[in-house]
Amino acid sequence: MKKGRFGRFGGQYVNEMLMPALIELEEAFDKFYPTQTFQGKLEGLLRDYGGRPTPLYHAENFSKLIGCKVYLKREDLLCGGSHKLNNALGQALLAKKMGKTRIITETAAGQHGLATVMAGNICGLETEIFIGVKDIKRQASNVNKIKLLGGKVTPVKSGGGVLKDAVSDTLREWTTCSQTTYYLMGSTVGPHPFPEIVATFQSIIGIEIKEQILEKEGKHPNAILACGSGGSNAIGAFRPFISDEEIRLYFVEGGGESLGANNSAAAFQLGKPGILHGALMQVLQDEYGQIKPSKTRAAGLNYPGRGPEISYLCETGRVKACYALDEDVFKAVQIMGRTEGLIPALETAHVIAYVLNHRSEFDKDETIVINYSGRGGKDLKTIMRNCYES
Amino acid sequence: MNLEEKLRVLKEQREGAHMPHVYYGDPTEEFSLKLIECMVENGADLIEFGIPFSDPTADGPTFQEACERALKKEMTPPKCIQGIKRLRRNGVKVPIIVTTYYNIPYVVGIKKFLDEIKKAGAQALIVPNLPIEEAKELLYEGKKNGVHIILQITPITTEKRLKTISDVASGFLYVINVEGVTGARENMTNSTLKLVNRVKKHTDLTILTGFGISKRKHAEAVVSAGADGVIVGSAYAKIYEKNLITPEETLPEITRLVKQIKRGCIEGYKHRLL
Ligand SMILES: Cc1ncc(COP(=O)(O)O)c(C=O)c1O
Repeated sequence: MKKGRFGRFGGQYVNEMLMPALIELEEAFDKFYPTQTFQGKLEGLLRDYGGRPTPLYHAENFSKLIGCKVYLKREDLLCGGSHKLNNALGQALLAKKMGKTRIITETAAGQHGLATVMAGNICGLETEIFIGVKDIKRQASNVNKIKLLGGKVTPVKSGGGVLKDAVSDTLREWTTCSQTTYYLMGSTVGPHPFPEIVATFQSIIGIEIKEQILEKEGKHPNAILACGSGGSNAIGAFRPFISDEEIRLYFVEGGGESLGANNSAAAFQLGKPGILHGALMQVLQDEYGQIKPSKTRAAGLNYPGRGPEISYLCETGRVKACYALDEDVFKAVQIMGRTEGLIPALETAHVIAYVLNHRSEFDKDETIVINYSGRGGKDLKTIMRNCYES
Repeated sequence: MNLEEKLRVLKEQREGAHMPHVYYGDPTEEFSLKLIECMVENGADLIEFGIPFSDPTADGPTFQEACERALKKEMTPPKCIQGIKRLRRNGVKVPIIVTTYYNIPYVVGIKKFLDEIKKAGAQALIVPNLPIEEAKELLYEGKKNGVHIILQITPITTEKRLKTISDVASGFLYVINVEGVTGARENMTNSTLKLVNRVKKHTDLTILTGFGISKRKHAEAVVSAGADGVIVGSAYAKIYEKNLITPEETLPEITRLVKQIKRGCIEGYKHRLL
């Protein structure tokens, strides 16, 4: 496969102004990442600061409900409350090595923004987080955390004031300052080499799953499931298992209210290949190629594009593209709470909802792993309003 | 008129070229047609004809809003191409350079898109989010179809890239003289001089500079610094956006700026440093 491509997906569709920065980034990643100093530093931070390895938890009550053996990979226990720190720490270390003084990024659920400010503080780098005005409202607790830690929050008013617009504005900002500033991409999206870098840092999830499941079960799981939009937690969990065709992989995107017009974020159901934010990927768009806004109650899944690698894996059929609807997602939050005493993030609840709605896809002697990408504290208000006030 | 011919004539007359950039359909099709015709009558040598895109990541707030307004009014690429045809029918003869983001030609097919804009009467295409690394197909089809693919150079483009880009470029080079996105700016730095000098070592192609040019003295400064002309976009949109209900009323003010910028292009040539 051509460098920076996953099948036909990927590439570097950016303006000339950003090319030197992308070339510099690729060279720096190839140079620093393989070194023992870098690996040692990252491993130490992930362990002592982040709390890795995260547990692989056999959710017995939930398993009974589903009718097969279900493990949860507990990324909610990673410091910050989601998988996002794996990537943020890795890239912040890289930014530091590259001599950058400032980090910018976009966030929607606030999880990636928070992780970036945490990682920036550790590395002594200034941070500025772009977030849509609509998301500032619905993810207020994370925005407050970002501010408390000293990150600069820049509200994005353009477009719909959501993730897509925040990514656009971060790219525009980067165009003005790429020589001193590092864009810490939050998911496996954007121009090459971002999808590869983010996937590499998130692969720790899958590497641990492999070790832990062998230890607990003495065999590989029959299936691994993850929610996503850009695909970072999914790719992270899937990567070490992709070549083993026996293992079924499921990717659950945000179905929104319904799959009807403009009410969804399900790009695999409603989109087609197109170019947005530097890459060719599966994306929601109209017949003329204008990108359509996405819609879902989960801010972190509210992006019209799927990253190039997950786009490719779903196109080839290696990964099954699935979705869950808002209504079922809120039910899934409650069920996870009642059965296991855990409150999942609305994003994570999508994969739980999918499993609940498709129990027949899993045989009783099967073992499956759900990548439990984050906890739901940030969504408490929305959850309470939806579950108890309607 | 043929693009290369036009640029050659301007050089012979020792005039900097003036290319206004307009996003078609903002706020209405009828206004865009009037605007372009008015520009051509008053000192636009070429027209950069923008097909609005939903996510214009190389554009600043002025043009983002222009795209948004045009799309709200249901502007589409086929209507834009019709617009080019209408301009030609109305007697607009200057070269038309289409600008749009890569997804627009990608979804209909590169070949078909180039074919359509060419038939409508355009001579060239600019795709801001397509660096040379990804431009192979577009360059190939452009050459085959006789549509110039305009490539961009920035202050941070390395010597190596500069060479690669100038080697395959045709029509003219679009030299961006600031680090950033489109949008009117107060000052033009003399980094333009350095950049133009650098580019001229690699190519004899015409150099048009853009991004941030909003005043006669900017045009004069960059043309005297060796650029063969200027691209002015947001500065014009900033005038009519003040009166979106009856934008025609701002045409006299736009006319004044068009004339001033063209004046700057002519004056700048007189004090050329290169
Ligand atoms: C908890 C959680 N899960 C999943 C996602 C989706 O991102 P990705 O597809 O990159 O894993 C987010 C994004 O904000 C998130 O916060």
